[in-house]
Amino acid sequence: MTTQTLSQPSGALTEPRAVRWLLTGLALAFLALFLLVPLVAVFVQALEKGVETYWAAIIEPDAVAAIRLTLIAAAISVPLNLVFGIAAAWAITKFKFRGKAFLITLLDLPFSVSPVISGFIYVLVFGLQGWLGPWLKAHDLQLIFAVPGIVLATIFVTFPLVARELIPLMQAQGTEEEEAALVLGASGWQIFSRVTLPNVIWGVLYGVILCNARAMGEFGAVSVVSGHIRGLTNTLPLHVEILYNEYNFVAAFAVATLLALLAILTLAAKALLEKKVRQEVKATVKPLGME
Amino acid sequence: MGIQVQKISKKFGTYTALDHVDLQVPSGELVALLGPSGSGKTTLLRIIAGLETPDAGSIHFDGEETTQRKVRERQVGFVFQHYALFRHMTVFDNIAFGLTVKPKTERPDKARIRRRVNELLQLIQLDNMANRYPAQLSGGQRQRVALARALATEPKVLLLDEPFGALDAKVRQELRRWLRNLHDEIHVTSVFVTHDQEEALEVADRVVVMNQAKIEQVGTPEQVYDHPASPFVFSFLGHVNLFHCRSGDHPAGAIASPTRVEGRSIGYVRPGDIRISRSAATSEDYPAEIVFIQGAGALPRVELRRLDNGETVHADLPREKYRQLGLQIGEKVFIRPTNMRIFVPDYQI
Repeated sequence: MTTQTLSQPSGALTEPRAVRWLLTGLALAFLALFLLVPLVAVFVQALEKGVETYWAAIIEPDAVAAIRLTLIAAAISVPLNLVFGIAAAWAITKFKFRGKAFLITLLDLPFSVSPVISGFIYVLVFGLQGWLGPWLKAHDLQLIFAVPGIVLATIFVTFPLVARELIPLMQAQGTEEEEAALVLGASGWQIFSRVTLPNVIWGVLYGVILCNARAMGEFGAVSVVSGHIRGLTNTLPLHVEILYNEYNFVAAFAVATLLALLAILTLAAKALLEKKVRQEVKATVKPLGME
Repeated sequence: MGIQVQKISKKFGTYTALDHVDLQVPSGELVALLGPSGSGKTTLLRIIAGLETPDAGSIHFDGEETTQRKVRERQVGFVFQHYALFRHMTVFDNIAFGLTVKPKTERPDKARIRRRVNELLQLIQLDNMANRYPAQLSGGQRQRVALARALATEPKVLLLDEPFGALDAKVRQELRRWLRNLHDEIHVTSVFVTHDQEEALEVADRVVVMNQAKIEQVGTPEQVYDHPASPFVFSFLGHVNLFHCRSGDHPAGAIASPTRVEGRSIGYVRPGDIRISRSAATSEDYPAEIVFIQGAGALPRVELRRLDNGETVHADLPREKYRQLGLQIGEKVFIRPTNMRIFVPDYQI
């Protein structure tokens, strides 16, 4: 057999030119049709009646209220899930304890339950007719159809994102560095803050970005607990839905562009961070062999 | 500081890692824990460090019980097989770590820490690499940094887990000589784990041979190599020839072993202790045929087949002797085992 350069794989591993073009073309066409065209359509529709109409839809008081509420929900749920996610990942990957498997399963619960169902569960528990309804009413607390309910629902659906991102990373890194720090005399907090956390910092950021995107974009669970009160309990995705149902397409798409921009920003940040996270994992790859 | 290990047992589920192990490590010595994978040596080391808790037994440092003491209070230095350097810290920060995490009242000031780290950098001959990150170092350099980091807090005991296990042969050679010299300089009581008998024999003052959760023998490298206490130690510490012979049949002067040998017994002889000659001087010589000769290397190796029972015997000859004899394949010669040890057959490996 004649020698071949590596960049040209042997005939056995490649398809005829026509087949290659066809397959690549199909894949690209699919991507364009289902991802790119809708994205472009959002912006085209939003700007259909000019920039002024677009801008008016965004600075309209109800829209501003929806933006504010979305930001509040994210500002509360993301930090909470950050703390919780790091704590859970730390406990799961660096310690041995009873019930670990149960905790991991519990972590995945929000992913396996439909968001609408989780919203209903909150209504059942905290709503006026719910289990805790009378008690909450007696103490003049309203969770459902109010901001706290939205925040709670958002926390629930974004619950696993940070932890899920960190667990594989921390598992790959193992506990040797923590043991080294322990033998060197570091306290638990010193080990966490000076060894464990700096080693996963990019992974943490990555998780936060995913968590934030989900928190701002969540529809199902929030829709159930919100009550759709304009200017009060509407988040951005809910506001888009209301406008759309009122046949106010331009305004609906205008507000939707905000969410689309958020998605694009998230993707960009994600792409940047993924590289850093890979390096965090890579630095841990141990030499093979030897007990 | 001396270490006393008393009746330490440890199980992982149903697997017994250590079974009533007793060990004394005299102050200032460099001791090797030698054994095959799964013999419990790493577990013992980790128990001494406090990274594992024993199921039973106790550890004393200079007579003072430390079994219940926390890891960070034991003042041990530990070097991990895969270095476990802090990957996001420079070499300098890695070495300084043990000093910077001390409580405020005990922590040396910044200038002191800097001085101490620079001293250690000089000791490990990496003074110009203080600002590098672990990923930018070679394996041997990383291991030296790990050692310096362990030494920074002036531990009373230094524990090393397969310190050269992940390095290539040449770096390994250099590093173990370096470790030996270092120990001669600073005299800190040190225990290192290895599965490489050559490493243990070359570096340690005292070798602890472990097998199946127990200690088989403790002794100087010469003692364990020349006077192994069990067939396991004999065969683990180097190549070995098995000589089947009837009791009374073997050369009396060459036996240094249990005397109550009945019936058939097995003699253990190192390849270097086989003498080859052209003529039978005494009845202790066995006739054999040369099957294969491997002449290259420091010790030319000759493979022979005994003519009386067909057993294969390996012999290592000094080069000079090898040239002098001028052996040929197929030639008939006489072999005599010197320094043979007999173990009763049911006590075999």
